[in-house]
Amino acid sequence: MNHRQPSRATLLSVGFASVVVFLLAWEGACRTGIIDPLFLPPPSAVAEKIVAMMADGTLLANVLASTRRVMTGFIAATVVAIPLGIMLGTSSYARAAFDPILSFLRPLPSMSWIPLSLLWFGISETQKYSIVFMGTFAPALVYVIEATRNVDPLLIRAAKNLGASNWQVMREVILPASLPQILSGLKIILGLSWTCVISAELVAAREGLGFLIMNGKEFFQTEVVVLGMVMISVTVLVTDIVFRAIERKVLRWQA
Amino acid sequence: MNLSRRKFLHSSAAMSALAAAGASSFAGMARAADATTIQYGGSAWLGHYPAYLAMKSGALAAAGIDQQWQSFGTSSARMSAVLSGGIDIACTGIVSALALMARGSKHFSIVAVPESFGKVEGLFVRDGVNSLQDLKGKKLGVTFASSAHLLALDLLGSAGLSNDVTVLNVPAPELPGAIQSGQIDAAAAWTPQFNRIRAMTGMKLLADDTQFSLYKKYNVTPGPDVLIVRNAWAEKNGDAVRKYLKVYFDACQTLRDKPDEAARSLIALTGMSALDQIETIKGADWYSLAQQTQLLKSPGSYVDGLQRLAEMLVTYKQIDKAPAVRQWINTSYL
Repeated sequence: MNHRQPSRATLLSVGFASVVVFLLAWEGACRTGIIDPLFLPPPSAVAEKIVAMMADGTLLANVLASTRRVMTGFIAATVVAIPLGIMLGTSSYARAAFDPILSFLRPLPSMSWIPLSLLWFGISETQKYSIVFMGTFAPALVYVIEATRNVDPLLIRAAKNLGASNWQVMREVILPASLPQILSGLKIILGLSWTCVISAELVAAREGLGFLIMNGKEFFQTEVVVLGMVMISVTVLVTDIVFRAIERKVLRWQA
Repeated sequence: MNLSRRKFLHSSAAMSALAAAGASSFAGMARAADATTIQYGGSAWLGHYPAYLAMKSGALAAAGIDQQWQSFGTSSARMSAVLSGGIDIACTGIVSALALMARGSKHFSIVAVPESFGKVEGLFVRDGVNSLQDLKGKKLGVTFASSAHLLALDLLGSAGLSNDVTVLNVPAPELPGAIQSGQIDAAAAWTPQFNRIRAMTGMKLLADDTQFSLYKKYNVTPGPDVLIVRNAWAEKNGDAVRKYLKVYFDACQTLRDKPDEAARSLIALTGMSALDQIETIKGADWYSLAQQTQLLKSPGSYVDGLQRLAEMLVTYKQIDKAPAVRQWINTSYL
């Protein structure tokens, strides 16, 4: 049997058609009263709200506020997690010392840091960055440790036999070998940091997508709630595309 | 079997007591089986005191009502539960109810007004700030989407300071800490945070709800409490709603006339000290059943005030359009 693979254009058309059918069914269900718009607004109402908020600039302001918080917390977490993770991944003593602390930190959801972060940083922006940082740091650290530990020990031994110093082994062998796995992990952590920023914006925020959703909920503006959800998805997709581009550039030897 | 007269009398008395106990428990079971179950949406906020008191005193049970108490952190969460059919009766801040009315929800009706708490909600500032004008360039903390938020917006708007004061969204329980640590210069809060901030040294009350623009004309505070019923349930249980309101306002009378007695029961709900509890009860004006018809009369001052409040929410961009409030008022159960 000859199975012809569908072309990329065909697959894209199928994807596009499924989205259109889904939106039409949703709109139809709301318009015919099958779904009460109070419980789930029609896509047209969400689109109207998007246009209105784009026009007055509030949508962009909220997206940028959340993106700034995500990126600050995420970058801070990776800056600390990458060197620390490599150190823990290569030293069994350091790992033995840090493992209990890491086991304690890892399962804590970002929400659980809210009371302490408020005491430490007050109602400032730093408090919101800290929530993203605390929610992403431990998982990022675990990814880096695992990536480092997965480096083939033969490569390390060979480099050492050829007279490479510890720093050279780290720079020339461990880092390039573990980087693809580290970046894959960080891509997942970047998605996680969006859930953290929503927690961060539940408290003492005046802008941001989390604030938008919570404020919409308070006033039963369900189209604002859905709009916030849609914008989170869109922003995560965009940051994912940007991250992939960076990944391709950084891991040029893998292409 | 030979029984002495004394033993016979004792045995008979014991048997009679057992039989009586059995009969009364059967009667109790029968009453419980007949009782109308009401899911009530509550919290430790003072607007829920009458419902809690009526439940704890046994007055609701005596009226054939089995009230199931469900706690909610916010009025919007409680109203969502009303929408989904989980709650039959609830006290709620009017802002949430108005937001739902603005969305066209016909799921509920306002049937009563329990109290006015205008004197235990207000704007606190540090010593040295003597007027609203002195707040220029300062930070004011308030829980967004609350009645205190509306009070703050109204006061700042009246003073022409809408863009000159940074209004920060601070959850109610965090307000005392935020002002103590200097993160904010002023706070708009309601009881119990109101009482905590008032007790701090160096703080003073600059304005309370009685300075709200709608209070002077309509006696309406920024976010009055209202008692609502879920229409689908109330239509089938009209008698139960009537009985409920009777018992509910008896409890309001206890709160008004015997605050010390009421406080003893309420401490279990609020965790306040007896003194604070009595002070909080006295801080609100508890309405009577007889006052309800006058309050909820349409057209009438109070309902007109609620209408103005809805329009104010539109002005502050908190809701898209003002609903016709009178369409949600139902006095037929009073």
